[in-house]
Parts: sequence; C-alpha cells; structure tokens
Amino acid sequence: MPREPITVERFYTEHSGQLDLRLLGGAIGLKRVIREPTVNRPGLALAGHTKYFARHRMQVMGHAEVTYLKTLPRDERRRRYELIFSYPLPGVVFCRNLPPDRDCLKAAESRNIPILTSSLITMKFINLATLALEQLFAPRGSEIGSMVDIHGVGVLIRGDSGIGKSESILALIERGYSLVSDDMTRVTLVDGREVVGTSSELTRNHMEIRGIGIVNVAAMFGAKSVRGEKRIDLVVTLKAWEEVKDIDRLGMEEEFQHILGVQIPHVTIPVRPGRDLARLIEVAALHVKLRRAGHNPAKELNERLLSQMSAAPRGL
Amino acid sequence: MSAAKDKTCDAVITRDLVVANKVGIHARPAAMFVKIASRHTCDIYLEKDGEKINGKSIMGLLMLAAGPGSHLRLEASGKDAAQAVAEIEDLFQRKFDEE
Repeated sequence: MPREPITVERFYTEHSGQLDLRLLGGAIGLKRVIREPTVNRPGLALAGHTKYFARHRMQVMGHAEVTYLKTLPRDERRRRYELIFSYPLPGVVFCRNLPPDRDCLKAAESRNIPILTSSLITMKFINLATLALEQLFAPRGSEIGSMVDIHGVGVLIRGDSGIGKSESILALIERGYSLVSDDMTRVTLVDGREVVGTSSELTRNHMEIRGIGIVNVAAMFGAKSVRGEKRIDLVVTLKAWEEVKDIDRLGMEEEFQHILGVQIPHVTIPVRPGRDLARLIEVAALHVKLRRAGHNPAKELNERLLSQMSAAPRGL
Repeated sequence: MSAAKDKTCDAVITRDLVVANKVGIHARPAAMFVKIASRHTCDIYLEKDGEKINGKSIMGLLMLAAGPGSHLRLEASGKDAAQAVAEIEDLFQRKFDEE
C-alpha cells in the first residue's frame, strides 16, 4: 500500500490531546515531513557540534537546552538559532511549557519551521511521542477476510464468497464472541512482531447476510458482540471439501501464513453440508490458545503410544 | 474428486476503471456490481489506493468509498472471467444507469 509521508500536521492533529501540544508559530511548516519514528534533543547541535545531528527528527527542548541557551550572550544565542534552523528540521517542541524566546520564534518562522509547546515534562513527552511516532510509521495493509475475537484469540476468516463465512460468524457471535470486521480487515504491524486487525471506520459493526442484507451487529446483539481491534493469532481458510487436497489429519505440523512479514498460524477447514463451521472455527481458536500454552495433543498422544509400544512384551 | 475446481492455471484479467457517475459508488451501484459479480464463478477483486476488496461482497464495495473520478483496478480470474469483466465494464460505462 503506498504510504503517505507523515507530516508534522498529522502528528499534531492526531496526538495534540495526548501530548498536550500547542502550536506557537511557523504554522506554514506544518506540511513538513517527519522522516524518522523518534525524537531528538539537540543539545550538542545547540553547543555548535552539528556532526551527525539528527536533523530529520522532531526536536525536543527541555530544561537543559533552555537553560544552556540562557547562559549565552544574545548575539551568540541568535547565531545558534540561525545554525540549528538552517537544517531541514520537521519541527521543535518545547516541553514543560517552557517559552521559546522571541529570537527563537523569529528564526524558526523565517525558515517556516513549526514551534510547539507541551505541558508534559520532557521525559514523559519523549516516551509518549516516540510511541506515537512508531504507531504512525507502522507498516499497514489490508487483508481480504472477516475477523472475530474468540476467547482472546483473534481469528481472520478467509474463504470464497458463499462458503458460509457470514453465517458462521453470526453463530460465533451468538456463542458470545465478538466481530472485529466483516469482509476486509485493516492490518497494522505493532512493535515489529504483532499484527493487529481492525475494521474500516465506515463499515464498523456492520455485516452483510445474504438474503437479509446489511445488519448492524452491535445494535442487534449488543456491545459484547463487537470489538474495535484485536491482534491476529490465527488465520482460518474455509474451503469446499472437494477442493482440499491433503488434510493434516494429526495437527502435529504447524502451518503458517505471512501477514506484514509476521508468521501467523493457519488452518484450513473443509466445508461440507452438515459440518458446524462455527464450532470448528471455535475449536481451532481454542486449540491455538492451548498450543500457545505448551500443549500439543497429537504429540503427547504419540509419545504415550510410543512408550506403550516399547513396554509391550514381544510377540503379543 | 472429479468436480474439483482447479484454479492453479487461470490467468488474471485486469482492467482500470474510472467511476463516472455523479455521486460515486453508493449502495445502489454497489448492489448492481455485486449482482453481476456474484453471477460468475470466477474470483473478482476491486482495488483502490492499494486496498483490495472482494467484488462479490457488498460491504467491500461500500468500504472502498469510491467517489466520482475514483480510479479502480478490477481483477478477475477463473473460467468466466472474460465475460464478467465485459459485463462490469459495460456497467461502468452506463454509469450504473444513473444518468
């Protein structure tokens, strides 16, 4: 999916509440792009050492930076501002509501660099801003398939049209599980190792049932029946019985699918009239939960079998 | 076993389509599209801005939020893909019978 660059404007509008950000000047510069998912304290650069200065990051000023600048005579301070704003910084945030002085604001505005403040203490701001930026930069995509949360196990359900996805999801909802998304699931890579699925905001809580039409699951079944987002723990593909070539009869080998580069357990469930798909999907999810906890029923059974066979006296 | 649908060697037919009707693909045009798509056995997908949806799903069509002027990419693969593509192209050209 083509990624839109992350602008200071987007960082500001999406996180101003959480980070208590206010824009003081350089508004034209809100279109500037943040190129790295982290922030930088420009202490060394302010002191004149600009080698390896992390110019593409949002800059953060706290007590150390502000008090240092105050120790400088005004002319020298102005020169340092000129120097630091000569770089293509996305923007600068002053923490602890520390006010930037007039020379700073003037130098920034002349270069169209946005200046913001936050009431948060510097350490808190740095931690929260880094998390916010990681979330903005996280790889995203979309997967064809519906998603449900079965007892804490996020299941992405795939299958051809008309195979019974919607009906099995309704049955799962009646069992007390939750719908995350219908037909298309938006996925985001979190922390580089988990894939979280969610629905499109437009169609959240809605589902199409052939013969009935579009229904609002939350209105029909209540708050417990829907879930905003969930990590994907299992991918289930529903396939017509005749199309499934080799079924793993033991379930000892684990099969995987890759979403956003992460390996996620995958199970194919053959569909045939009379098979309770919802029950099977539920069992697949609970099976994943148990396997995660260390159980491997097929292996355990096989080990018992091996020890029974080796204990039996020969000839019997 | 003899009725198994062999999908391994079906070529994918793609078409670039533009939404030409005034309001875009809202409920009615979406239903018309899905009706045509569902009549065919081939797989049908529509893609907009990198997001791909199942063309036989009305939810998917609505999720695209394809306003007037949107560029969509149609993908069809299977036995009757060529016919499905032709009918869908015609539907777009007729502007979903809205004008």
